[in-house]
Amino acid sequence: MVMTMDEKTLKSIIEEVMKEMALVGAGAPTGKPAGRSAGGTTSLVISESGPAERGTNPREVVIGLAAAFGGRQTQTIIGLPHDQVIREICAGIEEEGLSYRFIRSFRTADVGFIAHEAAKLSGSGIGIGIQSRGTTVIHQKDLAPLSNLELFSQSPLIDLETFRAIGKNAAKYAKGESPSPVPVRNDQMARPKYQAIAALLHIKETQLLDPNKKTQALRVEYR
Amino acid sequence: MDQEQLIRQIMAEVMTSLGKDSVTFQKKSPAAGNGIGRDQYPLGEKMPEKVKSATGKVLSDFSLERVKNGELTAEDFRIAPETLEMQAQVADSVDRQNLARNMRRAAELIAVPDDRLLGVYNALRPYRSTKTELYGIADELEQKYHCTVNAAFIREAADVYEKRGRLKAE
Amino acid sequence: MRSKRFEALDARPVNQDGFVTEWPEVGLMAMNSPNDPKPSIRIEHGLVVELDGKLRADFDMIDTFIADYGIRLENAEAVCKMDSLDLARKLVDINVPRTEVVKLTTSMTPAKITEVVGTMTVLEMMMAVSKMRARLTPANQCHVTNLKDNPVQIAADAAEASLRGFAEEETTVGIGRYAPFNAMAIMVGAQVGRPGILTQCAVEEATELNLGMRGFTAYAETVSVYGTEAVFMDGDDTPWSKAFLASCYASRGLKMRFTSGTGSEVQMGYAEGKSMLYLESRCIYITKAAGSQGIQNGSVSCVGVPAAVPGGIRAILAENLIAMALDLECASSNDQTFTHSDLRRVARSLMQFVPGTDFICSGYSATPNYDNMFAGSNWDADDFDDWLIIQRDLKVDGGLVPVLEDDVVAARNKAARALQAVFKNLGLTEITDAEIEAATYARGSEDMPPRNVVEDLKSAEDMMKRGTTGVDIVKALSKGGFEDVADAVFGMLKQRVAGDYLHTSAILTRDFEVISAVNQPNDYRGPQTGYQISDEKWAILKNIRQAISPESI
Repeated sequence: MVMTMDEKTLKSIIEEVMKEMALVGAGAPTGKPAGRSAGGTTSLVISESGPAERGTNPREVVIGLAAAFGGRQTQTIIGLPHDQVIREICAGIEEEGLSYRFIRSFRTADVGFIAHEAAKLSGSGIGIGIQSRGTTVIHQKDLAPLSNLELFSQSPLIDLETFRAIGKNAAKYAKGESPSPVPVRNDQMARPKYQAIAALLHIKETQLLDPNKKTQALRVEYR
Repeated sequence: MDQEQLIRQIMAEVMTSLGKDSVTFQKKSPAAGNGIGRDQYPLGEKMPEKVKSATGKVLSDFSLERVKNGELTAEDFRIAPETLEMQAQVADSVDRQNLARNMRRAAELIAVPDDRLLGVYNALRPYRSTKTELYGIADELEQKYHCTVNAAFIREAADVYEKRGRLKAE
Repeated sequence: MRSKRFEALDARPVNQDGFVTEWPEVGLMAMNSPNDPKPSIRIEHGLVVELDGKLRADFDMIDTFIADYGIRLENAEAVCKMDSLDLARKLVDINVPRTEVVKLTTSMTPAKITEVVGTMTVLEMMMAVSKMRARLTPANQCHVTNLKDNPVQIAADAAEASLRGFAEEETTVGIGRYAPFNAMAIMVGAQVGRPGILTQCAVEEATELNLGMRGFTAYAETVSVYGTEAVFMDGDDTPWSKAFLASCYASRGLKMRFTSGTGSEVQMGYAEGKSMLYLESRCIYITKAAGSQGIQNGSVSCVGVPAAVPGGIRAILAENLIAMALDLECASSNDQTFTHSDLRRVARSLMQFVPGTDFICSGYSATPNYDNMFAGSNWDADDFDDWLIIQRDLKVDGGLVPVLEDDVVAARNKAARALQAVFKNLGLTEITDAEIEAATYARGSEDMPPRNVVEDLKSAEDMMKRGTTGVDIVKALSKGGFEDVADAVFGMLKQRVAGDYLHTSAILTRDFEVISAVNQPNDYRGPQTGYQISDEKWAILKNIRQAISPESI
């Protein structure tokens, strides 16, 4: 499904955001319980299992999800279901024989900071950060937060194959290898088409933030 | 003071400074006083003999030949505090006080090594430092490198960060 | 049944663009928002105790910084009480000199200046830009990047861009670790095309400073500031850290400007319900307060957001004007893609192109857009002739000059060979003759053979560990027989000792003479004043290769 910015789509998003704003304003709990994925044959069920711990396993990659990922939002900006995105990233990591854990950041929706947080908690020092719209970063704990190993800033250009390659490369960095970076894509017409909707999606994400809530470890299940 | 007395006094001052090689009988350039302004700008074109690098080398002596034979190294391609002060005066002369203030902060920072400078910058970013750490950095800059303006600026930042909850948790 | 006319309209490029209706509550509004604060300022014992309707106790970080450093206080209360419409008229009026206007504008609060420009049409703003631009002569800046981060291509493209007239050239990376190579390549290439071109490499703040300190770049631009505190935190900085960074650059004799733009706060999710222009005016005041000589603004990478709402392109011109009115250098964006429509992209650029700014584009993509790693520019290499002909049509100096194919090919070749010599003499990865041949004639990275990326990244990392500097590049060029290029890079390094180009709106001529708002300030006062295209320049601008002379027929 390709999302174009027709009036109807926008209206529905705007309505949804307005509803959520009202919820947030009323002080409703925002982080839990995580919702179910709407699309696909399986659905993603994400639940929190307490504050995230720093790992000691040097053969793990930590995946940091933004506040709305797999919950209030269920697909990327080009309509890739979040459960499939996660499956691809995990498959990429598994191909390299490494394990993974999930965390969720509530203090920031910035993908650089989310990825850096994941890297700092990762036993290997390598983390992946991903926003609901699909923007993704591979990070290493020793780098500056807004630096990165690999950055995939144009969310409309990230397909499932790329997500798998991202998982695979992250695992290779974790093993101390120097993989060829996942080929960067560029489409100068992505911004005219998607930037305003990306802003709306990001506003939704930031509205779920809670500056006082610690980063949570997550349990991810497919049902 | 009559004229003779004035001349005598000036002569006496000149004679006493003659021992120091800095004194010449050339007409003094405004560089020595407070008189640098837009008329002297660009300094590199109009008075290269007065512009020195941080290592004390004179700009008019810079040449490609000297780079090739190793007389000039990367260290020599650094601006001197005196030069930045002159540039700050140029900025003041065209009513750009904020730019002049930045140049004066910068003049202090010339003495701080690259790595330390990057370190201080990173420490000033949000959630990186405790208030004590920032005050410590201010003291260090002040005592080790005589950066009084920057030290005050960092302390001020620490106070604002505290008020706004942007410090590293203790 | 559908109207055939509407079907045809639906198929037009403009209808692939995204448009949204205004939503003031989340800041999705370009300017004149009902939620923008009313201007006010109260000063007690030299301290601002109230700013734009907020008491000092309620100031956030940005309010504090602006109140303490960003406003000329002597007349601030009086100017705030002046009629905004009268002030707007002074901005437009050719009989009120720039110097007089600057005294007023630099005494305004962010809300006041937003209100003042909010009364103006785009035509009036363009008149004001003619007068308020800091440097007399307008100029242009370009992007030199490619999809593969191929340094040989960067050097060749940079050389061509210099020939074509750009005064500044900017690169960035697809892969962050390529930054040192890209920075070296654009510097060497630019100096081959024309000595005195300023070059930069836009990367993460601390890395960018490091490259500058080493002498791989002459200036920096990606020093981003934001209009709300929350977004500033996501940008991983504070007004104080950014001001300190500004001083770090000056302490190493490096030119620097800040970057901001309308839409960034709403794009990053925290606009506090204010209009994009009001938040941008806060950014410009932070820039002023920090003592930066200038700013790149005009929405920049967020342009898709203001461009999607009513009046967004007007707001972009308004933010450029505010920067100029605060006596800052303004690199006025016109860089990133925001539309599928050729008509829209020209209309958007005329706002800055016609009156002229310090850098009309910041930048113009010197490669085809598929290689533009700032996600595409509003103008690219395939538009070179369009730009030149629009200059010729309107008799406007938009910073570019016509060039001959042979000259371009020769410069590209020399730049690629010069970089080959640098890489060889610094013990970096090999640049083959086949790559040089490809770069000489390439349109873009599709025409370049692939490089071993892993080897390049290792080589770049090793080079940084060895502490290689600009001086080493000079020596490597000389050793490789490129004495003139070595001399040009040396000339660039020398600039940092004098620091003349730290002043507002500075650029360099091919003889390394500094031109800035100090020695060549804009003195526009109406027809036949200010910047005038000389007869010699006009002869160059009108001499396009496509024109058929009557004698030839």
